[in-house]
Amino acid sequence: MIKVGIPRALLYYQYYPMWKTFLEELGAEVVVSPPTTQTILSSGSSRVVADTCLPVKVFCGHVLALIGECDHIFIPAIRSVKTKIYNCSKFLGLPDMTRAVIPESPPILDIDIDINTGKRELYQAIYKLGRRFTWSPFKVRKAAVAAWQAYLKYRQLMSNYGLTIPQAIARISNTTEAEPKTLSSHPSQASIAIVGHPYLLHDEHINHRLIHRLEQADYKVLTPEMLTGEQLELAITRLVGRPYWTYEEEVVGAGGYYLESGVDGVIGIMAFGCGPDSLMMDMVRRQSARLKTSTFMSLTLEEHTAEAGIATRVEAFLDMIQRRKRRRAEACV
Amino acid sequence: MRLGLPHMGKIYIAVKCMADELGIDLVIPPPTSQRTLDLGVKYSPETACLPFKLTLGNMIEALDLGADTTMMPGGPGPCRFGYYHKVQEAILRQLGYNFHMVTQDGGLKHVINALTNGAPLRKVIVAFNFGIAKLKAVEGLEQMVHKIRAIERDKGSASRIYNESCKAINNVGDHQALNQTKQECLQRLNNLPTVAFPKPLKIGITGEFFVVLDPFANMDIEIELGKLGVEVKRSIFVQDWVRFNPFLIALGLREKDRSHKAAIPYLSHHVGGDGWQSVGEKVLHAKDWDGMVHLEPFGCVPEIMARNIMPSTKEKLPVLNIILDEHTGKAGVVNRLEAFVDMIRRRKKGKVCV
Repeated sequence: MIKVGIPRALLYYQYYPMWKTFLEELGAEVVVSPPTTQTILSSGSSRVVADTCLPVKVFCGHVLALIGECDHIFIPAIRSVKTKIYNCSKFLGLPDMTRAVIPESPPILDIDIDINTGKRELYQAIYKLGRRFTWSPFKVRKAAVAAWQAYLKYRQLMSNYGLTIPQAIARISNTTEAEPKTLSSHPSQASIAIVGHPYLLHDEHINHRLIHRLEQADYKVLTPEMLTGEQLELAITRLVGRPYWTYEEEVVGAGGYYLESGVDGVIGIMAFGCGPDSLMMDMVRRQSARLKTSTFMSLTLEEHTAEAGIATRVEAFLDMIQRRKRRRAEACV
Repeated sequence: MRLGLPHMGKIYIAVKCMADELGIDLVIPPPTSQRTLDLGVKYSPETACLPFKLTLGNMIEALDLGADTTMMPGGPGPCRFGYYHKVQEAILRQLGYNFHMVTQDGGLKHVINALTNGAPLRKVIVAFNFGIAKLKAVEGLEQMVHKIRAIERDKGSASRIYNESCKAINNVGDHQALNQTKQECLQRLNNLPTVAFPKPLKIGITGEFFVVLDPFANMDIEIELGKLGVEVKRSIFVQDWVRFNPFLIALGLREKDRSHKAAIPYLSHHVGGDGWQSVGEKVLHAKDWDGMVHLEPFGCVPEIMARNIMPSTKEKLPVLNIILDEHTGKAGVVNRLEAFVDMIRRRKKGKVCV
């Protein structure tokens, strides 16, 4: 059985159930790299030039962690999943960059997903990937359909039950360790939305367990994946018009939606030096200044971000929300 | 309508010419200066790149001079440049400016309609042609100046003639006068006293197009290299975007296509911006250039990808990477260029001895 490694970074969070189903249907065994550690991050950042963004450094670390664990590494180049809306450069050149900076990595299984070239090209790309495992086009087709179903189910699970990505992945893979948190007996103090790309929100090492911190302080945490695609798209259209980047909905869409819905606080998370985020988060910040409904904070992550810094800023942010709530309550009386 | 456009190198000459032909009231913002940069930096998101800050500064200066319409190229693509107009519009509106932003979102036809004052198509084509002719004249001279700067006897004379020529070309009114001016300028450049020794080095300049084309953004890097006796090779010119040559396109002989093709073994697809071309030029010119200067604004993701991939190519060529942002000092850039040129000269000497 061929062992295929999937790095636990970047698009893993969006598409893992889909990729897993596809590869397993074709008879491969899927190996996922362990959660990010300092060793993984350091080894990754030693390979790439200094101003590469944090998620790519993490990604390289995960590829390095998979060396020796698998026969192939699956690194898709997802260029565009909607017409005329492209992805960030780092996703476009990911397989080529990995080959260049990690020459010793196992052979890379890459697939170019570009919706702009037409359906036929897309099917051929999928078939080309499938042919590495089987000669039968029907089997590839079956696997692709199953993968798509798994993806839809995964999205539904998150938007219907309000699960975060790690919880949904845990539920799909039937591991019990990460049971979704049962509602605590007393209602949570306030709700805080975290907007940003899932590879920043759900990598507990690089964001220093931000979600955990907020939950411990008894806040209800909302994330972009808890919204449906339509909600996100509508929010983007209202805020900036036509979306420009593939994953813009995770930042501008979710940010716009949560600001409008009047949650108590919104935290925007971005990586230092991220091209798209630097502009998208600015749009969200401007919107929050215009609406004045929720408190907004933007956190920029990089490999030197210290845990104490994050903790202090989060504490100050929560204090601010509490003060604001108290003031409002007094004003009502 | 009073149109104010951001600067990029000498492109304003062509734009002014087209606007004059079409009877558009054009406000040319003052040449990019430290003030422009300061204005841009003050109001931009902190990690936006240098082109964003400079163009925003230009727009503010143009709007202060009374412009009521501005334009920023945009449109889908993986580089964040296409998103700039949205953010810049939001920033300028928040600053209290009342203006109309022309963007490519409604398609090219919409842009032409918005900018041509309702002129008939024939007139638009004539104006466009003349503008392009001026652009070609300026860039033709520029290519010539790249060669002469390296070998001129009195350093700085070629740049002086070039600046005077640009002014002269800016003022001419028809094709005939343009040709005449161009010939005169070429003559003047050719008549400059030169030295035969040392033999000039050939160093290419590549990278993100805005910082390559804008002398303010790249700290006059071409002039500095010229002072060091280097013949600058550059394949990014504005005229390549507007020149339409079906023959060359069909054969894939345009410089851009050739460099893309050369990059394919290392980077198989477009990564936005000019990342693909940067890798390709290193591969393509490894034999005929002595070195390459790779320019990028800080935080340019396509060029970061290119920089990650470049060292792994089989074709070897010394590359000096210069990252530009508002904190870049000219002395630092000049120092690094000097060291780079010294290194290449030493390498060449070593090769000759062996």
